[in-house]
Amino acid sequence: MAGRAHLGEFEQLVLLAVLRLGEEAYGVPIREEIEGRTGRAPTVGALYRTLDRLEAKGYVTSWFGEPTAERGGRSKRYFKVRPIGLRTLRASRDALAAMWEGLDAKVVRGS
Amino acid sequence: MVREPSFWIRLLLRIAALRASDAELGDVMEEYAGGTRGALWLCRQILSTLRRNPPRATVDERRPAMLSNLWSDVRYAARMFRRNPGFTVAAVAPIALGIGINTGIFSILNSLAFRRLPAPEAAELVSVHQQFRGITQRRVHGARSMFSMPEYRAYRDRSRTLAGLMAYSVPWTVTLGGDAPQEADAVFVTCNYFDVLQLRPAIGPGFTANCEDPNAAPQILLSHDLWTRAFAADRNIVGRTMTVNGHDAAVVGVAPEGFDGIDLMKAALFAPTSLIGAVRPGENYAEDPHTSWLTLVGRRKKDAGMGQVRAELAVIAGQIDQQQPGRATTVNVAPATSLSLPEARRDIFSVAAVVLGAFGLVLFIACANVANLLLARAAGRTKEIAVRLSVGASRGRLIQQLLTESALIAFAGGAAGSLFAWWSFRGLLAALLSSLPGTIPPLRVDATPNLTVLWFALGLTATTALMFGMVPALQASKHDVQTILKQQGPGAGRRTAGWLRGALVGAQVAVCMVLLISAGLLLRALYAVHTVEPGFDYRHVAVVSFDARGRGSDQRAVAFQHELLERLGALPGVEAIARAGKAPLSPGRRQTMCRLPGQQQWQEIDVNPVSPGYFSLIGIPIVRGRTFTTTELLDSPVTAIVTEATARRFWPGQEPIGRALVMAVAENKERSVEIVGVAKDAQVTGIADAESSYVYLPAGPTVEHGLQLLVQNRTDFAALAAGVRTVARELDPGVVVRVNRLEENLDFWRTVSRLIAALSGSLSLLALALASIGVYGVVSYVVSRRRREVGIRMALGASARDVQHLIIRQTLRPVAVGVLIGIAAAAAASRILQAVLFGVSPFDPVAFIGAPLFLLGIAVAATVLPTREALRVDPITTLRYE
Repeated sequence: MAGRAHLGEFEQLVLLAVLRLGEEAYGVPIREEIEGRTGRAPTVGALYRTLDRLEAKGYVTSWFGEPTAERGGRSKRYFKVRPIGLRTLRASRDALAAMWEGLDAKVVRGS
Repeated sequence: MVREPSFWIRLLLRIAALRASDAELGDVMEEYAGGTRGALWLCRQILSTLRRNPPRATVDERRPAMLSNLWSDVRYAARMFRRNPGFTVAAVAPIALGIGINTGIFSILNSLAFRRLPAPEAAELVSVHQQFRGITQRRVHGARSMFSMPEYRAYRDRSRTLAGLMAYSVPWTVTLGGDAPQEADAVFVTCNYFDVLQLRPAIGPGFTANCEDPNAAPQILLSHDLWTRAFAADRNIVGRTMTVNGHDAAVVGVAPEGFDGIDLMKAALFAPTSLIGAVRPGENYAEDPHTSWLTLVGRRKKDAGMGQVRAELAVIAGQIDQQQPGRATTVNVAPATSLSLPEARRDIFSVAAVVLGAFGLVLFIACANVANLLLARAAGRTKEIAVRLSVGASRGRLIQQLLTESALIAFAGGAAGSLFAWWSFRGLLAALLSSLPGTIPPLRVDATPNLTVLWFALGLTATTALMFGMVPALQASKHDVQTILKQQGPGAGRRTAGWLRGALVGAQVAVCMVLLISAGLLLRALYAVHTVEPGFDYRHVAVVSFDARGRGSDQRAVAFQHELLERLGALPGVEAIARAGKAPLSPGRRQTMCRLPGQQQWQEIDVNPVSPGYFSLIGIPIVRGRTFTTTELLDSPVTAIVTEATARRFWPGQEPIGRALVMAVAENKERSVEIVGVAKDAQVTGIADAESSYVYLPAGPTVEHGLQLLVQNRTDFAALAAGVRTVARELDPGVVVRVNRLEENLDFWRTVSRLIAALSGSLSLLALALASIGVYGVVSYVVSRRRREVGIRMALGASARDVQHLIIRQTLRPVAVGVLIGIAAAAAASRILQAVLFGVSPFDPVAFIGAPLFLLGIAVAATVLPTREALRVDPITTLRYE
């Protein structure tokens, strides 16, 4: 199962950001969360491409909130990680951790 | 902060909406910070949303054949244009120019007449005006179609289809007192002015609901511009008391940034209608039902259509009519724009029609050029077209292909032209507005493009494509396949095409002729204005004007004026001082009605109250009788001086001295005055206007608070101006005094003349350039087609000169016909210009002879050059080549 469910790096970042934000996970804070923690500033288009893909795979689910004036009368789309998304994320982390095992010292030293 | 996104941002968002979801756009809006960096950020975000779904690569098979053909036509045309860059530039550039200037002019008209007001949900705002018949009593301040206060209240209280109805006046110049008094343009508004517009003051609470109550403390609201300019954006200004023409008023707020009223003339100050007494003391505007002074703007309820509003207001108008027997009112309800006054709209549309017409003519010349280019090109492509027809292409299919090429040229031109217009016209407009004479109040013109302008440019582009593409396309696809394929040379169908080319050149020349003659007339007018002797002495005269009412009571104003007069007389270099209600050639007119005793026919007449020394100071001689005496300077004058023209009109062939004239002095009040003198005619109301009826009255001590002082001096103007200001400040620091040269009044006429002449001059030069390119192009094409014939003629012994003459004669024929038609059309059109010709006849011989000669000269040059080129070739070579 872990072999089939493959997550790209950016997909992982997005899933983790959605998890961190909890109730408040919609486009703007997700982008801010990723930028604040990694220094990468994904564009709106790139973010939604990824979110749509994650939703198509069933890892996240989304729903619309109330429209607000500061958004030109447009609604917010909130995201939440589904259990299968959590499992896949864990699998990705385990896979990475397994690969990293014993290499920390080497990589940090920059041999 | 919620900001209204600019046009470009909205356009970008609209493009993005093709692909992006609402949530994405919402995110973008939420994070968008404005500014240049914000715009770059926004572009990046929106581009990123476009990449999401790459367009499907394959052509949908169910798509109609026409569309897929269209796509391949476009690609084919684009390939051809890439291969012939010279042709492409020659075709696109004139179209870009033509569409560009037309779009620019339209964007100015749009800002005046079509653009919605700068308020949220502006589509709901309507302006209301009225026209009535059957009433005799009506005083007007602004325009007759405006409303009185009681009328406004009736509409406001009885309307159910409007969520709110407010009213405002035209701007009045008031003196804003304080440490440094200054003049500002104030608009008097109802308390709900900002509520109906749905605008909140930038700071301060704004007007209270009872702000118009005469017993309430008066309130004023400053424009953001005035607040930053004159009060250094002091946030503590709210609650401070200022004086408006001597009346205390408390500042209740500052209007939103960038808001300076909703009328064409900018407002710097908003005051409740109850304060109107500050500018019209002693008159009860706020209650008088017979004074037109308020423009009404209402906000429709969400479920009320224009038709419902119109119907309802008409019913209310009928109720008002019933109170005044004989009165019949028609209410005009229209979408609110900054120029909603019906009278002004009529004027602006007739001016716009002339200007857009002139610019449209240039576009027409450009179109004719491109059409000619396409005709020439089609002639060279007959083989290609014949092959296409013979392998089964239908004529419609060919026309579609040729029109696609035209459309591509037009759209390339339209896009380039519109970009050029948007880029250049805002700067140009700003320069234009700042070069207007200072006597014209600051105008609120926002020429930023919006969707209306975009639609106009698109429509114009499509029309252009049809205009220059249709005829060549029809012409080119008409060929008989067999004859062409059999023929060796590419010259079939020449006869009709040649006729068409001639007609196109003739039309171009005719249109160009109209523009050239008009420009010639306007240039002559400009010269006339600069050399005119207006009939009075404007050199070494300074005009000192002030509004002494700014200090409140009449007595104070009069005292101030008298002291100022005495002290100014003592200034060094001052030779004479006179008082006048209106300095010669100052803008605006001061008119009243008059009639002869025993007649009922009232006539309009210009009135100017002056002091006895006025005539000698200004150099207008009294040709009969005498000037006023000091004892005649009464509040209710009994004597008058008329101009020669007026005397001739009222008492033809008779002695005017001693006769009586009845003047209307107030509502239902008239007074008879005795003529004691006749002054020489002078152009005091306008350049080239010495003929209108004009009467001088003695300037009484209290009637005229706003009298101007004319000061004749032999010293330096700057020193005099400084002296006047010092004296005035010593007398009363609360009065704003302006000092100008009298000559500046002439500048107004010169500026208007200069602007019009510059506009028409550059326009006609552009037309001339395009038309000469057209003539040159056609001649060189014809010559190149006739090489073989020229070769034969020369081989048979014709001299180069003979051949040249032959060609010139033949090609100049359409030019000559065009010139004749153009002259006739110009004679018909020049009447439109009469109003701005300032003393030049609309059939001025210099313009009507000079311009055609000039154009003919250019046309001959455009013919001779390509002919000589062709004749230089050796006839044998030419024949062998063929």
